[in-house]
Amino acid sequence: MPENGGYMIAAYVVVGAILIGYSLSLYLRARRSLRA
Amino acid sequence: MRMLQVGRWITAVGLVLLAGVYVRALAYTPVEASQGLAQKIFYLHVPAAIWAETAMVLVGLASVFYLFTKDQRLDRFAAASAEVGTIFCAIVLTSGPIWGKPIWGTWWTWDARLTSTLFLFLLYAGYLLLRSAVTDPGARARFSAVLGICGMCEVPFIHLSVYMFPTLHPMPIVLQPGRPKLPGSMLATWLFSLGVFTLLYVGFVVQRYALSYQREQRESHA
Repeated sequence: MPENGGYMIAAYVVVGAILIGYSLSLYLRARRSLRA
Repeated sequence: MRMLQVGRWITAVGLVLLAGVYVRALAYTPVEASQGLAQKIFYLHVPAAIWAETAMVLVGLASVFYLFTKDQRLDRFAAASAEVGTIFCAIVLTSGPIWGKPIWGTWWTWDARLTSTLFLFLLYAGYLLLRSAVTDPGARARFSAVLGICGMCEVPFIHLSVYMFPTLHPMPIVLQPGRPKLPGSMLATWLFSLGVFTLLYVGFVVQRYALSYQREQRESHA
């Protein structure tokens, strides 16, 4: 079996970072919008 | 405000369940013999691709109905779906090359499926740029509706590209005529992941829709 677990970990980290980053972006935009 | 809270809760549940997808995919799903651990990228890559394409189809449908009815809610939904679709398309375009490198030996190739997915991302980016560039709300909605309909027309080509130009990208193994070519435990993990990505799409779109609505209300009172 090929040893390529590093690629899998990289992909899982990147996907998690994109989804959490976008969630945070929406949260911050909503907070800014409520303050305005 | 209430809609924003609902969107936040759906997103929060989606993110918690995403952790469940990670645990199930990494610990409770068998490792594919020929591709090794890299094959587990499939559980994130394919659901993200399905929602990147579905989001554009929904943008296109909302745009068609907007042009007939001029209902602002449809334009607002199209804008929300396009932004969320861009995020899912970015996931496809990052996880794909990370999967491709160990399996194909290259990060990128100008294969029909890869190129058409990149084109979809550029269409999304163009759609969002167009919306931010046009200040008149009526013209913005009309112009972006036309671009949204063009984007929707590209989606069937992306799906069929692997049949029309078979090169490196594999054929569909779940969304294809006949039964999915996956063992039961892998299929269960994939369906779980698809459900979580659906929840995340809904949560993100509801939040983004509520933000647009708030901004429009503020602008109309100013």
